[in-house]
Amino acid sequence: MNQLWKRLIALAAVTMLVAAACGRDDDSGSGSDDGGDSDSGGEEASGAFIDPSIDCTDYQGTAGIDGDTIKIGTIRPADGPYAIYDNVTTGLEAWAKSVNDEGGITAGDGNTYKIELIKENDSYDPAKTPAVAQKLVEQEGVFLLAGNIGTESNLSIRDYLNDNCVPNVALATGSSEWNKADDYPWYISGLPAYALEANYWLDYIAQNNPEAKIALLYQDDDFGQAYRDALNEAIERSNNDNGTSIEIVGEQGYNPLSGTTTEAAVTSLSQSGADEFIVGIGGTPCPQTLTFIPDTWDVDPFISVTCAGNLAMSIAGEAGVGAIQAQATLDPADPNDAQTPEVQEFLTKGAAAGLDEAQLTGGVVSVGWGFGTYLQNLLENTEVVDRAGIMNTAYSLDTPAYGLVRPDITIKTDGANDPWGIEGFRIAQRNADGGWDELAPVTNRDGETRELIG
Amino acid sequence: MTSTGPRWVRYASGAVMAVVLVALPFMFPAFRVNQFVTWMCLAVAAAGLNLLTGFNGQISVGHGALYGLGAYTAAILVTDSGWPMLATPVAAAAVCFVAGVVIGLPALRIKGLYLALVTLAVATLFPALVEQFSSLTGGSSGLSLVVPQDDCPRGRPECPVRWESPIDGLASDQWRYFVFLAVTVVMFIVVANIVRSRTGRSLVAIRDNEVAAEASGVNVSRAKILTFGTSAAIAGVGGAMLALNNGRVNPTSFTLLVSIYLLVAVVVGGAATIVGPAVGTVVAGLFNDVIAPELPGRFENAAPVILGVLLVIQMLLAPNGIVGQIRDLQARIAARRHGGDPGGQTGHLATPGGTGTEPEDLGSASGT
Repeated sequence: MNQLWKRLIALAAVTMLVAAACGRDDDSGSGSDDGGDSDSGGEEASGAFIDPSIDCTDYQGTAGIDGDTIKIGTIRPADGPYAIYDNVTTGLEAWAKSVNDEGGITAGDGNTYKIELIKENDSYDPAKTPAVAQKLVEQEGVFLLAGNIGTESNLSIRDYLNDNCVPNVALATGSSEWNKADDYPWYISGLPAYALEANYWLDYIAQNNPEAKIALLYQDDDFGQAYRDALNEAIERSNNDNGTSIEIVGEQGYNPLSGTTTEAAVTSLSQSGADEFIVGIGGTPCPQTLTFIPDTWDVDPFISVTCAGNLAMSIAGEAGVGAIQAQATLDPADPNDAQTPEVQEFLTKGAAAGLDEAQLTGGVVSVGWGFGTYLQNLLENTEVVDRAGIMNTAYSLDTPAYGLVRPDITIKTDGANDPWGIEGFRIAQRNADGGWDELAPVTNRDGETRELIG
Repeated sequence: MTSTGPRWVRYASGAVMAVVLVALPFMFPAFRVNQFVTWMCLAVAAAGLNLLTGFNGQISVGHGALYGLGAYTAAILVTDSGWPMLATPVAAAAVCFVAGVVIGLPALRIKGLYLALVTLAVATLFPALVEQFSSLTGGSSGLSLVVPQDDCPRGRPECPVRWESPIDGLASDQWRYFVFLAVTVVMFIVVANIVRSRTGRSLVAIRDNEVAAEASGVNVSRAKILTFGTSAAIAGVGGAMLALNNGRVNPTSFTLLVSIYLLVAVVVGGAATIVGPAVGTVVAGLFNDVIAPELPGRFENAAPVILGVLLVIQMLLAPNGIVGQIRDLQARIAARRHGGDPGGQTGHLATPGGTGTEPEDLGSASGT
């Protein structure tokens, strides 16, 4: 037996060494900036970001438009642990019903279109996404995809959709991956970048606590790492350029697939001597984390925008009071925001489209509704409604805020130089009435996200 | 061959099956063909699990991790080391064999539910391990199987692997289907040969009575470890196939759910039968990919619950799985035709098998 053990251990060691020796020699992916810049010459010559005659081998520009109906596909998890995001699709669906009931959307070409939304379920498993995307494009014949949930799911069909010149707009993720508009011009995010959000947190900290000692809890995946990486760079920049002396004194990763809670991590961070606490995690673990903060640790935690909706904050209860977020949208559950005409319109139209009170104010359904208004914005600003036309509009927007985006935020994009639409936030703090008090007004950082991600 | 029933029935059903398998990609749209290929990957992994759980009686809830290990092995070899695609399943088999042997070591001391718990740990650990070695695996963002190619879109130096058909008139999804079908058939023949060999008989003997098997000269430790390794290797081939089919691997595709799905496929199809895992995968695939999306909106979210209820019903009505049940029926019909007592044919139900299902080899001994 001893002999067998020794042999097996030796075998395992050799395997590991071989694996280590075959390490990746290229980590950086394919998004090289230099290549992109030299490519864009031809595109600029034709005026638009995408020229399908150059970009596409088999371009079907008006597929999915049948008379006055535009077919739109969306992929989301309808079952499994992430089924809560099905609520985003509920919002998108309600928006489609609402515009159809009003007679449709009058696009920039003067025609009025109704929306037919086709939903597919990938259970948040990126291995299932390619087949359902293929079904939507080739079988159902959708014009474009919108509001797809999940970074991994969207990544798993990125090559397929871009190679076939099918737009995928209003991605329900702010991953840094969506910075690569040079390589993947048929993709555009519907959320602000997580990296930009982290920069707004740090700007606020730098102004109010220039010698801050930060405790950072981040979700150990693409989502949380985007916060962590952006934060580290922003701290370095702030310390070099603005003379602050901010440092991260405690850092803990949390793996959502581990099935544990963040309690141990919070306890450990609370003893790190930090006077600021950044919670870069999403889902239920985020509001849970707030409840784990011990009374002896006097901090107002910064929370992710994905955690700041009423549904999530109601899980945190009292512990959520004092939490700080960078906020890009109006919150229908906030008594102050509820007075604005934008929220009033949403509440009226949403209720007419069949949304109930909890859905209207929960903060997840309204995200999907927001994607719908974004789509509406695109259609209204597109003069030739085809696939390339929609993308060229998406990449050359210059409009005031639409839907539930905070009114002071401007929406600007500029091809691969600026692939991000929403690039403004205000800083707000949760009060005891279930609303948010403004700590810093909206500022816009148009065109800066791309550089921040690098 | 071991099945019951007259020889011509088996040949005829085999021929019908072959015709159907060849005709499928010409009858369905590309996205369906793509889903069929995914089912093949799962079927191969389930066949690997069946060797361990069905024939050898060791329950593993961790085969999803081995399936994932195979997928990542293929992905890393193609992307980082430039291996030709069809060579990677072999490497995945080798890597997973080693992993399977290591995971199988505790199986020498622990059995049944306790072994299931150990393998459960493996299944839950896998996505975290992928995250841990993110420089190699791409972490939670996943890993694309990209290779340098001349004609990549937008002048990118490398782009995802392709399955371009060398035959005119055969679309790339159809070509891919046939390549994967060939690999799948080969893997099932491998399993069938293992089961019908002396090794296979010793596996069943260990499952049915370990002490008796040892007394009969079977090296129980060696057989158990090798079974774990072989089973893992086959599951790894399935995983490599999945990676090659999707052109991408992600940790969320290899959670505990996959392990359970594989067990379901084995049990539904018929544990300890050669084609059972394939039948089970097809049935589960039909439900998940074809029926569930067509459910009315209100019931769509309830698909997993409906599947659960159907499983319970099946366990009550046909605990031996679909293939097992067909065998029983055939045996009863044959018994009636010969005017004999059907009790002798179904007596194998009383064998003290780990899963209570029909052991293929013993079935052949008593069945016909």
